[in-house]
Amino acid sequence: METLHPRIRLLWIARAALGAIAVGVVFAAIDSQLYALPTAVSVGAVAIGLVLGVVYAVRRYQQWRFELQDDALYLERGVITFVETSVPFVRVQHVDTRFGPVERALGLSSVVVYTAGSRNADVRVPGLTPNRARALQDTLRELAVESETEDAV
Amino acid sequence: MNRLHPLSAVTNALQRGGIGLSVPFFVSTLASVFEFVDVGWALVLAPVGFVLGAAYGVAYYYRFAYELTADTFDVASGVLSRRTREIPYRRIQNVDVEQGVVYRLLGIAVVNVETAGGGDTEAVLDFVGESEAKRLQRAIRQRTAESAGSRRAPSTTAGDDQPAGWIADSTAVEQTTGDAEPTEHRPTLLFELAPRELLLYSLASFRPAAAAGVLFLAFFASGPILDALVATARPFGGPAAFESGSIRSYAILTALSLAQAIVATYLLGAVYTFFAYYGFRLGRAGEDLVYERGLLQNYSGSIPLEKVQSVTITDNPLQRAIGYAGLWVETAGYGPDSGSGSQSAVPLARAGRIYRFAERFSGLEKPTFERPTTVARRRYLGRYAIVAGAVVAAAFVVSLVTPIERWYLAAIVFLAVPPAAHLRWANLGYAVADEHVVIRSGFWRRRTTVVPYYRIQTISTRRSIFQRRLGLASLVVDTASSRTFARSDPTIYDVDLEVAREVHDASRERLQSALRDRTSSDDGGVSVAFT
Repeated sequence: METLHPRIRLLWIARAALGAIAVGVVFAAIDSQLYALPTAVSVGAVAIGLVLGVVYAVRRYQQWRFELQDDALYLERGVITFVETSVPFVRVQHVDTRFGPVERALGLSSVVVYTAGSRNADVRVPGLTPNRARALQDTLRELAVESETEDAV
Repeated sequence: MNRLHPLSAVTNALQRGGIGLSVPFFVSTLASVFEFVDVGWALVLAPVGFVLGAAYGVAYYYRFAYELTADTFDVASGVLSRRTREIPYRRIQNVDVEQGVVYRLLGIAVVNVETAGGGDTEAVLDFVGESEAKRLQRAIRQRTAESAGSRRAPSTTAGDDQPAGWIADSTAVEQTTGDAEPTEHRPTLLFELAPRELLLYSLASFRPAAAAGVLFLAFFASGPILDALVATARPFGGPAAFESGSIRSYAILTALSLAQAIVATYLLGAVYTFFAYYGFRLGRAGEDLVYERGLLQNYSGSIPLEKVQSVTITDNPLQRAIGYAGLWVETAGYGPDSGSGSQSAVPLARAGRIYRFAERFSGLEKPTFERPTTVARRRYLGRYAIVAGAVVAAAFVVSLVTPIERWYLAAIVFLAVPPAAHLRWANLGYAVADEHVVIRSGFWRRRTTVVPYYRIQTISTRRSIFQRRLGLASLVVDTASSRTFARSDPTIYDVDLEVAREVHDASRERLQSALRDRTSSDDGGVSVAFT
């Protein structure tokens, strides 16, 4: 089983921090516009948000695993709901590699696998180095073409 | 290249002309708020807008063309920016013909061509002549079947007018094959909704969506409806007039009005069902299912059998009590009225007949359902107890802000918790057969879904924190179907983790072996056999 690149934690923590800051802004707005809140409440809410975000990010990183098995891409992930998904190679419609500005800054990249299914229609493997992402994309594409058959859609 | 029905030029011109006419008024009204434009200008500009709009409408007609080529169905449209769309026949999921009352009087119809994926219908011909619609539907169906590589002989039919001549049953096919006219593309009747069944279906199906219709009515006739509601509540202790009343009498009024709204919703739903499914019949033409239904609004459509993703048997408590059920087929496209890929194959028939039908459909042997353990029931008990607790809490909050005092009476909802948990649990089931996995769940609208292994897209085992504590897991078997909010994916709920893992792996293996079987057999892979 392969794990994600450890740096992905930074990305997730950064996102959580953004969320916590947003909460802080809301509290500040309430404080100045509606009615005065004790500073401890605002600071406490931001701090709790931040701590939860960090714990969640670390836990999420620990849970994330994926593997190329002989007939399917197998993924395990999820903190609150733990999900094990098999995506048979035959069902892969196309594969993207993707990275946002923050991911790029961290030198990370994601692979998105599309199937014709309704749920998990796009399976995203985040936190890969650009080389690994490209390699994974190529492998998946080859495996998908190799196992191509009369399609079901 | 073919054009739409000439009448559509007229309606298009009127429609767009109307828009062109209203734009100056709209703009000048908006502008007059800021008082820098005289409204009088709108009167001058409106006719210009109408002419421009109408010209656009006519141009749209002349620039819209469709064609049946050898491999694709082409649609070219657009006045200023052109769009040419080529839909390969083998990608077409279904072809629907829709006719409203006015359309029927004028002998015209709307043709919708659906493929998998995408947010809406891929090609809409609004509108063509009735006979042209029938011709298109049949021609596309034939070409879809041919390109699917079925071993059927190329068709020789030119323009025979079906569905006027549906064949009663499969034995009749053999009798009439000697005739000059090939019967291959004439539908063989598989099911016809008898008047009795139609009535039962109308009365035994509930459409919560009809509430929107009731609200709509209430909105437009709020005065008289309010009066009527007050009048009916008065003998039961309701307020003498809407303006004057005590808390008690208002509560009675609310309760009675709610009951009436529910009854009205039910009746409206029943009437809608009656009109929509009047004259329903399902047939088979070559490798397609074809259906027709509707009294005022006429729908007819075709579903290629090889595009069927899964088959679902539905029933509600009332239907179960009288021993009836319905059969639906799911494709990856969008259906004409459900908004999802699900189409009614048999709206309602005796449950035994439905199961036989499903058997023929999918080669399904009678499934022996496995059940989740009682641990699952305990979970629902806990879950519903939390919901009941929330209700009581809400009642308490209400008692704080209103004069209602005895909030603790709401605790009566706890009585409903054990039966609810038991019913939820009792209606769960799954069966892992040789070629399918069968999944059942739901009490109010129980769904028994048959998913062939070779239709599986992805498989997920999900465990929430609550499930992990109890050692349970849910297995989601995803097929290629449209994303809807109304319907969740086929899910085996709350089985033991080992069982879920076993079924997960077994389904994966069987998908692979089913795919190998399909490619090795010369038969186009259609595993549907009607007898």
